Amino acid sequence: MHGPTELHILERLLEDNEQLASHNQEHFDELGLLAVNLMSAPGAGKTSLIKSTAKLMPADCPIAVIEGDMVGELDVERLREDNIPAYQISTGRACHLDAQMVAQLLHTTKLPDCKILFLENVGNLVCPAEFPLGEHLRIVLLSITEGDDKPIKYPVIFHNCDAVIFTKSDLLPFCKFSLEKAKDAISSLNPAVEFFVVSTISGDGLPQWRNWIVEKANKKISHLHIGL
Amino acid sequence: MHETAIAKAILDRITDRLNNLHHASNATAVEVRVGEFRNVDPESLSFAFDSLKKEYPTCIACALNLELIETRALCKDGRHEYKASADNAYRCPNCGSAIGTLVSGKELDITKIVVSQNK
Repeated sequence: MHGPTELHILERLLEDNEQLASHNQEHFDELGLLAVNLMSAPGAGKTSLIKSTAKLMPADCPIAVIEGDMVGELDVERLREDNIPAYQISTGRACHLDAQMVAQLLHTTKLPDCKILFLENVGNLVCPAEFPLGEHLRIVLLSITEGDDKPIKYPVIFHNCDAVIFTKSDLLPFCKFSLEKAKDAISSLNPAVEFFVVSTISGDGLPQWRNWIVEKANKKISHLHIGL
Repeated sequence: MHETAIAKAILDRITDRLNNLHHASNATAVEVRVGEFRNVDPESLSFAFDSLKKEYPTCIACALNLELIETRALCKDGRHEYKASADNAYRCPNCGSAIGTLVSGKELDITKIVVSQNK
């Protein structure tokens, strides 16, 4: 019997995901589209935001959606009701999309011509932050009903994103939610972040968000979000 | 529970390393460095690792040793180094400015595998 041997190494875990994410981004770049990872807790209104945004899109800026859910196709069906091209990824036991799931879909599905591809992640403020998909932009939604303390409780996802969209702003008068407090907490983690305050019920804030994302798509200002 | 995906990645990496050795070997321990700003719960990771390792014949007796690394940042305005945490709302205790650059806390690496060669 030989004695134990110590292998001193330095291997980054999840590196495989990061390499696949780079591969996906090359794919998105070849297709000439802006890939946007939409992340939030369950029920913050990601699908509603996409549906409302689609209605305001200029004709020369079509969108498509890759929809990540653990089970079922309910959100894809909601999007297709509005004739939005949408493709389901069922993640099964996984609580997030990963780059492999997106790569598999990209290699088996011909996406329609579009300028913006929304990657609607599984509703979760923790795990999606750790798995880049190859996106150019990372957007986090925080609904008014969730509470203004969430940025401090879930700092990683708010640290590593390009914009935060406060949704369900029509409920502000009925909730103890301080926009100022939430923005201050997010700014302490991520001073360069953009903010939008929207309601898909009243339509407030949607044109500003639409203008920003269309401008990003047109300029295709991309930031590689592989690791930090 | 992305700790399950991380536990699987650790076991896959160990298996790859063992497959590259000349002699049939088992892993008896693995050291993994986990940054605090990495959304990884150490207890959940250990639980997932111990559950999954049963499916890896060369890792059945492998112990997972975690080294936890605190979150440290350089602040945006003053470039002061500080421990960033919820206690100070991630702001610099010296000047109150926001996180500029993370110095540590994003680690998620295997640093050592202890291998025992079979008879």
